[in-house]
Amino acid sequence: MSDAKRRPPHDTIRPELHDLDKSAFLEEVHSFEFWFQAVEGYLAETTYGHDPEMAEDPLSDEDRERLIGVLCNYCAGESAALETAAGLVSLAPNRMTKVFLSTQVADEGRHLEVFLHRLGELGVENPESEVAKRASPSMLAFKDKLAELVAGRDWASALFAQNVALESLEFVVFGRHAKTADRVTAQILERVVKDERRHMGFGENELGRYLRDTPDSRSRIHDLRVELDHLVDATLADTVRHLGLPADDQKELGRMYRESIERLGLLG
Amino acid sequence: MSETQKRTATDPEPPRARFELEDTGFNEVPKKYRKFYRRWSGEKDELAPNEVLCPVCKVVIRSSRELREGDRVYCMPCMSRLVVGRGQGGGLEATVRY
Repeated sequence: MSDAKRRPPHDTIRPELHDLDKSAFLEEVHSFEFWFQAVEGYLAETTYGHDPEMAEDPLSDEDRERLIGVLCNYCAGESAALETAAGLVSLAPNRMTKVFLSTQVADEGRHLEVFLHRLGELGVENPESEVAKRASPSMLAFKDKLAELVAGRDWASALFAQNVALESLEFVVFGRHAKTADRVTAQILERVVKDERRHMGFGENELGRYLRDTPDSRSRIHDLRVELDHLVDATLADTVRHLGLPADDQKELGRMYRESIERLGLLG
Repeated sequence: MSETQKRTATDPEPPRARFELEDTGFNEVPKKYRKFYRRWSGEKDELAPNEVLCPVCKVVIRSSRELREGDRVYCMPCMSRLVVGRGQGGGLEATVRY
């Protein structure tokens, strides 16, 4: 039960958030001002995504190697997201979505930077070359597919691949990893997950409206989902292996990943 | 007039309980909106009558009045517009409206 207290019966109803007009709500949450005040809430007083005074947990050589491997994959994913979000700005259908995507570009740039910085903190001398060596083939193939969709100027397909598939995958994986990670990595991941909420929510809602208004496009997006499934499954399997998680976790993460796809009616 | 309409006319819904919302430490939206959200602590987290879980991002959405079926709520952390309904277990559940 929450800590909400009942008001006295004589109290009057005050206007509240949920009374907002739909268009006013959408205008607000897509704005740069909303984004700026939101990220200020959880990034102020952090350095590279974590409390600079936070002491490092001791890591065994094996755990450190595993963490480096998984962070390299995260960097490849964030690099793909950064380039795709920037490309989506020119494809977005209106000012509101363009402004939101500009905030996502900033988020993705931050994610790439904090993960690369974390690799440096873990003793990796040249993080970018380490990412190039260790990123999984499935993640690199996913990145190529995203670039192809943006180059083809297919707004709905690129939006699905980036803001539904990739962002949902990152949301569930980062959230799961944060539960077992060392404290510094956990702090970084928890703040990245807060950004991912906006990105995947934007993707699901924007695509949901698009599919409602252009039902003929549904089969095309469904086919893309099928095409991407094996890349998502392979990326998820790589991550679970790097993290040393039990096989059941892969099933559960896969189920969580598919929730938004199911709500959009793109499963099956 | 249907049975439902007759009941509504003669037996109006009781007034909604009101709730004073306090800041719960949720920091993913601008300060003025923070009291309308709180973190969800998993399946055992019991929701109050003025709360419903966002199915998209798993944040608890809060209102200053008791929620009922058909109400509209907004999840700012994931930008979703939702409608409150009744789940199979009898509790309130939110569904996304695109």
